[in-house]
Amino acid sequence: MPDPARAEFLLEVGCEEIPAPWLPGLREQLAHRFREAAEREHLRPAGVCSLGTPRRLVLRADLLTRQPDREEKVWGPSLKAARDPAGGWTSAAVGFARKSGGPADRLLQAPKDPASPSELYLAFDKKTAGRAAADVLPRVIAFVLRALAFPRRMSWDAWIDDGKGAFPFGRPIRWIVALLDGAVVPFQVHALAGGVRGEAVVTSGDLTWGHRFLPRGEAGKPLRAASFTDLSRRLAGAFVILDPSEREARIREALAAAGGQPRDDHGLVAEWRDLVEYPTVVVGRVPAEFRALPTEVLETVLVHHQKYIPLGEGGATSRFAALTNTDGTFAEAVVRGMERVVVARLRDAAFFFAEDRKRPLADRVADLAGVTFHQGLGTYADKTSRLVRLVDAMGAELGVLTRPEHQAAREAARLAKADLTTLMVREFPELQGVMGGIYLTAEGGQWEGVARAVRWHYHPLSIEEDAPPRGAVGGGDATVFGAVSLADKLDSLAGYFGLGLAPTGSSDPYGLRRAAGGAVRVLLDFWSADAAEKRPSLRQLVAAAVAAHQAQLKRPAAEVAPELEAFLLDRLRYVLVARGYPADEVEAVLGAREPDALDDPHEAWLRLKALHRVRSEAREDFEHLAVAFKRAKNILGEQPAAAVDAGLLTEAAERELHDAVGRLAGTDGAYEGRLRALAGLRAPVDRFFDDVLVMAEDERVRANRLGLLSQALSLFYRIADISKLGGQA
Amino acid sequence: MTLQDVIATLQSYWAERGCIVQQPWDAEVGAGTMHPETFLRVLGPKPWRVAYVQPSRRPADGRYGENPNRLYKHYQFQVVLKPAPADVQDVYLQSLVALGIDPAAHDVRFEEDNWESPTLGAWGIGWQVLLDGQEITQFTYFQQAGGIDLAPISAEITYGLERIAMYLQDVDDVFQLRWSADRRYAEVRQEEEYELSRYSFELADVELHRLLFERALAEGWRVLQAGERTALPAYDWCLKSSHAFNVLDARAAISVSQRAGMILGIRKLACAIAQRFVGEQEAGLPSKDQAHA
Repeated sequence: MPDPARAEFLLEVGCEEIPAPWLPGLREQLAHRFREAAEREHLRPAGVCSLGTPRRLVLRADLLTRQPDREEKVWGPSLKAARDPAGGWTSAAVGFARKSGGPADRLLQAPKDPASPSELYLAFDKKTAGRAAADVLPRVIAFVLRALAFPRRMSWDAWIDDGKGAFPFGRPIRWIVALLDGAVVPFQVHALAGGVRGEAVVTSGDLTWGHRFLPRGEAGKPLRAASFTDLSRRLAGAFVILDPSEREARIREALAAAGGQPRDDHGLVAEWRDLVEYPTVVVGRVPAEFRALPTEVLETVLVHHQKYIPLGEGGATSRFAALTNTDGTFAEAVVRGMERVVVARLRDAAFFFAEDRKRPLADRVADLAGVTFHQGLGTYADKTSRLVRLVDAMGAELGVLTRPEHQAAREAARLAKADLTTLMVREFPELQGVMGGIYLTAEGGQWEGVARAVRWHYHPLSIEEDAPPRGAVGGGDATVFGAVSLADKLDSLAGYFGLGLAPTGSSDPYGLRRAAGGAVRVLLDFWSADAAEKRPSLRQLVAAAVAAHQAQLKRPAAEVAPELEAFLLDRLRYVLVARGYPADEVEAVLGAREPDALDDPHEAWLRLKALHRVRSEAREDFEHLAVAFKRAKNILGEQPAAAVDAGLLTEAAERELHDAVGRLAGTDGAYEGRLRALAGLRAPVDRFFDDVLVMAEDERVRANRLGLLSQALSLFYRIADISKLGGQA
Repeated sequence: MTLQDVIATLQSYWAERGCIVQQPWDAEVGAGTMHPETFLRVLGPKPWRVAYVQPSRRPADGRYGENPNRLYKHYQFQVVLKPAPADVQDVYLQSLVALGIDPAAHDVRFEEDNWESPTLGAWGIGWQVLLDGQEITQFTYFQQAGGIDLAPISAEITYGLERIAMYLQDVDDVFQLRWSADRRYAEVRQEEEYELSRYSFELADVELHRLLFERALAEGWRVLQAGERTALPAYDWCLKSSHAFNVLDARAAISVSQRAGMILGIRKLACAIAQRFVGEQEAGLPSKDQAHA
């Protein structure tokens, strides 16, 4: 039995094609904003669900058919402010009484704040009769439509009656279905003419439209909908699959049936899902003459330019899967058209590939003098010589590269940017780096590590642990790649910071956050050295990168370096938190004074892993220790700690702590073991604070006790500043 | 359907829907958008509907008549509907039907592709229209021109004539297109492609074009500052500076840092012209109704 007090609300906003990448967010916002507005209007929404395609956003929900009658207390001035010294009503009280519709004497006097029950305020009970949902919903619709945020909005000469007038949207709205239990909820979008409201251009109703072209001969005729189920059913008959997960399932099924399982869908299935209303996958052929092109080139043409998914057997791409918004009846003709476009593009690419290979890549290095990197930072030739200088600093001054690694990294740095002058990269900029690597490999004669470093040096682009080039570079090659990648990123960071072009707010036009994240990741995930002394200090690298710009920078190195260090530390924090560690543990590890996380981010990560594991085993111990150490830090302040004189320790509890500290000071080895041992300080520390008066009258005793606390604290400082841990995580 | 049939069909299709059929602008332009019938007519409140072919020169795209898909000069068919009617997409799709393309027998899609012209201070929101994966039309709701927010909003429909004709004739090489019943595109245009490509890549006098660029901008400003009713000749000079810029670009004579400054120079003039044009329309100067008289 349906609940007579509740009704189904259905909203369909029919639009011209909304960009696919926007749709997941829009569906989410639609449900969220509707729930928010309906709750505010006391309609108690339930079962809210939002669906949609590029041409329609759809929402359904259960609502009360009528708002409940409501009684709310309206609060006025406090009694103190309501009475004048003579005991009469103040003007504030009289004004408030007028609002209540009665004299001030009839107002309630009641405590407002439960914490101070004696303080009375004037108040009255206001009764509001509930309105029918149908009367309230037009304003809910207006609110929701107005509140939808689009990556880019457009003016389409529209106006709505919500007090705000002009009504930009993501794309023009062409129809609206708004039904409450089948009855039309009135809503209109008007034209905006000469800045004021014009005639209605969209009026809500119960008519919807199916697929643009299907079924053949029937398309373009309106369909009447009575409910959400009815709408879904009718649209399904008109080649519109409302549910994105159903569309995705249909795509995946078709891809499986196409065989030659794609190695990687390149994220296209997620985009395809929202690109059409009725997804039908077709398969085209890549002519054999193009199969000799490098995979990356083939995939760039297919994936980035046509949004087709490469299919192949045994590593070679022989076919592609393409999305259509059709029922597949004329697939053959459609595929022929698609193949023609692919062939034209591949023919270009094959031409570029052949032309580019007529010159060795090394010959192109000189041409970089004609390619500007950035107006204030010189050409790519300038950048190249800075990269070489930075790699030299790693090899010589910092001593973190072996001789062969240094040689390979130096060569890779020299060649890294040369492919920017190739026809292929000029046509397909996303292949920068990749083409350099491919051309070098094709030339042969190089250490493969050089080609790989060139190939990958723009990476890592993502902070996930398993993102590229994970698996593509390893061992000594990882260090060579790491050296070039770090040099490239730190050079850009130092340069842009030096010009005063650090990112602000959401604006990061040079992608510096990503660059800093990549630099951090090189040190966390790729630099192959097991021993700390073989890993470069990020702090020293920053200094070297700033120095490599020499006098070119607008701002002094003394300002740039600390800013850049803080920026990198912030990115390190971001990466570690993104990897699932609680923020307080990350803070504790980055807050340790010695060792410095910027000197060795990889080592900081090891400490963090240890802290995370040990703390989860001994959560209670760490909670106590965190509280105690916070106290200790407050007491100690900034003053230097005195040495501890065992002879001055009088209380049992302080002797116990002193013994424990002495025992633990010698603990060595892996962080986990040390932390486990240090967790044992909990009992002596707790007892110390319970039994011992730190701020003793006798100055020497006090200093001695402070010194003891400081020693206990410093045991942890080499791993984490444990006082930064929160009570719960 | 020959290339000239495509043009004739589109002209009569849009004439029947209230467009005046204009002629190409008689100076070098990079796109139909630069024709004053688009750039200036979308400004201000006055309704307008226009359609025309515009030969569009892109010196850097020249391939000496050797590439089957790239041209120094190609033909656009441009339609501007101001204000954009609510059924504008359907009306556009019906024009494909008039060309013999049944959308129900193909994959026809509107995919996001916004348009921006930094030199004209203009941008719009819209799509590329894909026919079986081939882009055949750019569809744009103009939002700004000459730096001015537009109201009402115009719809601009730009057909790539060669692409559409190649599709209809099922040929892979633009030069194999049938222009008329007995003449191929190659016969009409291939020599021109060669000579113009050679000129813009090898022969164009860089110093002369730098001078032309500077002088054209200066003349545009001078004319504009001469007083009322000078926006149209000033715009002529703005277009000339833009073409000189394109030639220099094809000659690889512009560094990255120069490029930004030159684009800004053209934009400033274009914006000043747009301001003037709108201002005079509002002031009710005769130029409003007699433009292009």
